[in-house]
Amino acid sequence: MYKYSDTDKKIIASRVKQFENQVNRRLEGKLTEEEFKPLRLMNGLYLQLHAYMLRVAIPYGELSSKQLRKLAFIADKYDRGYGHFTTRQNIQFNWPKLPDVPEILNELSLVEMHAIQTSGNCIRNISSDHLAGLTINEIEDPRPWCEIIRKWSTFHPEFSFLPRKFKIAVIGCDEDRAAMLVHDIGIRIIKRHCQVGFEIFVGGGQGRTPIIAKKIKNFLPKKDILNYLEAILTTYNQEGRRDNIYKARIKILVQELGIERFKSLVEENFSKLSNKELEIDKKSIEEIFQYFRLPPLKSSSDKIPLEDNQEYKNWIKQNVIPHKIKGFSIVQISLKEPKKPPGDATSNQMKALAKFSEDFSFSEIRVTHEQNLVLPHVPNKELFNLWSQLKKENLATPNLGLITDTICCPGMDYCALATARSIPISQKISNHFNNYCKQKEIGNLKIKISGCINACGHHHVGNIGILGLDRRGEEFYQITLGGSAKEDAAIGEIVGPSFSETDLIDAIEKILNTYKKHKKNKGEDFLSVFRRIGIKEFKKDLYDNFTEKS
Amino acid sequence: MVKKLQGEAFLLSANELRTGKVVFFTKKGWSSSTREAIKIKADEINKYEEISIREEKKCKIVSAKFVELDDAGNIKTLRDKIRNCGITIKI
Repeated sequence: MYKYSDTDKKIIASRVKQFENQVNRRLEGKLTEEEFKPLRLMNGLYLQLHAYMLRVAIPYGELSSKQLRKLAFIADKYDRGYGHFTTRQNIQFNWPKLPDVPEILNELSLVEMHAIQTSGNCIRNISSDHLAGLTINEIEDPRPWCEIIRKWSTFHPEFSFLPRKFKIAVIGCDEDRAAMLVHDIGIRIIKRHCQVGFEIFVGGGQGRTPIIAKKIKNFLPKKDILNYLEAILTTYNQEGRRDNIYKARIKILVQELGIERFKSLVEENFSKLSNKELEIDKKSIEEIFQYFRLPPLKSSSDKIPLEDNQEYKNWIKQNVIPHKIKGFSIVQISLKEPKKPPGDATSNQMKALAKFSEDFSFSEIRVTHEQNLVLPHVPNKELFNLWSQLKKENLATPNLGLITDTICCPGMDYCALATARSIPISQKISNHFNNYCKQKEIGNLKIKISGCINACGHHHVGNIGILGLDRRGEEFYQITLGGSAKEDAAIGEIVGPSFSETDLIDAIEKILNTYKKHKKNKGEDFLSVFRRIGIKEFKKDLYDNFTEKS
Repeated sequence: MVKKLQGEAFLLSANELRTGKVVFFTKKGWSSSTREAIKIKADEINKYEEISIREEKKCKIVSAKFVELDDAGNIKTLRDKIRNCGITIKI
């Protein structure tokens, strides 16, 4: 795991001091809200519906036990005893008080964490594959590259006031578990003619104009990565629109210019860059890679313990996947316990997980963009023991990748931008489909729910996407079908008129019935059936003879 | 603050600067309860907007807004109801 350099420490400490000063000036009336707002946003502090919200960065979703324990401490001391893991691998505290925030930031700095670049029109926290460095089919661990990009982008003077926010994701294999293709820049590590480099995608995003990123570079040598990113960002900074917030993201620029024209502008800027400092030599790359070495895992022939307990068996089947080192497993911990808001963890759960990570996983925890957690290196022989302890903390829900493993934004319960609530919808789905056998029968299915068109709940790329709308003062929910956030990324198609909260579960049942009716074999998942038969069949079954209950 | 307000009666609301807590303007100042909140008629909006600007300058509140009431005098929109009553989910 990356450790702060002295420079990192100095930067973070001075930033905390600076913000403390800004908060004091605000409280004394020396700064107006207009002046203070951009300053607080630069430190991850929002003002939501009924409280401040602090978004803390978890770079590329990696946490140590010490950091998780600190987050639990913050939740207890300064908040209401819980935190919310987000779709960009960050964590949000929903109830901090303004005078406490500098102190919170100071506490975070003690464990090498901060809230910088979690808001504002800058390059945001770099996200990555939560299984980085753990799987056999990976070409190279993407985390060191995330760190290299983080170092380059933090407080980059030219890119701190971009036309709009800017999100980058890096993955290290063909399988995309980071929704890379709906990022402003997506980077995939590839191997060509025995040489490892990058495939670069640009202009992806969700929000009110969802677009899948387009490939801009087939192969980029490692040494050029920062210069090429600098060229893309420079092009965006020069050409991107600043007159209309809805047209300011890079995806709109790429769409308006066309990928070929955009590419030629980037190449032109790239060729002009004589910034040799940004070329990375092998030695620097190796230095960063040292931080991300696997812990000392001794391969063994240890098998997963067989126990005569159905719940445990379900959990093994659903939540546990093989590690690249024989004798170890990757344990995925669902934060989608029935009746709980997706992605929420209580401070007690955080403390327990910190302890489990120390006992079973070399003190390491990962955060997924699907709002779950991962213990990355668990010895097979400890799995039953770990499961028993997770169960006591309500952290052993066996639903990874199933219908109740929903992604969900905070919605109108917290967010000032939302047009409808999303958490109650997720809870309804969770309660309705709670039975494990029923979920298994449905198979792999991603439901993603957003409380407004800004799409923080990734509804555009849900196999079933749900978007909350305000229809004449009433909450209604629009359904999209066929979206995917994976390597076969696709934007879902709107199935038809929206549903009231009361009718929504029936509508989902009907959609699932259509799927079951057309499923050719047990292994054919929802998305495959949708792609084979198209939206018409779903539409017909959903709306023919449909009567609104409310 | 006043942007195309529709409706006939309102409450003046804001977030407390220090805590972010939702508050309503009463005769005695700001309160977290709507019980004693002053009902504002549409033609009084300008007067109360001036009050909110003054109160913001005193560093008591931030993000002041008018909350629309229905004919029965209750908060009209779901968003404002949630603002007033808190989150609708169990944590």
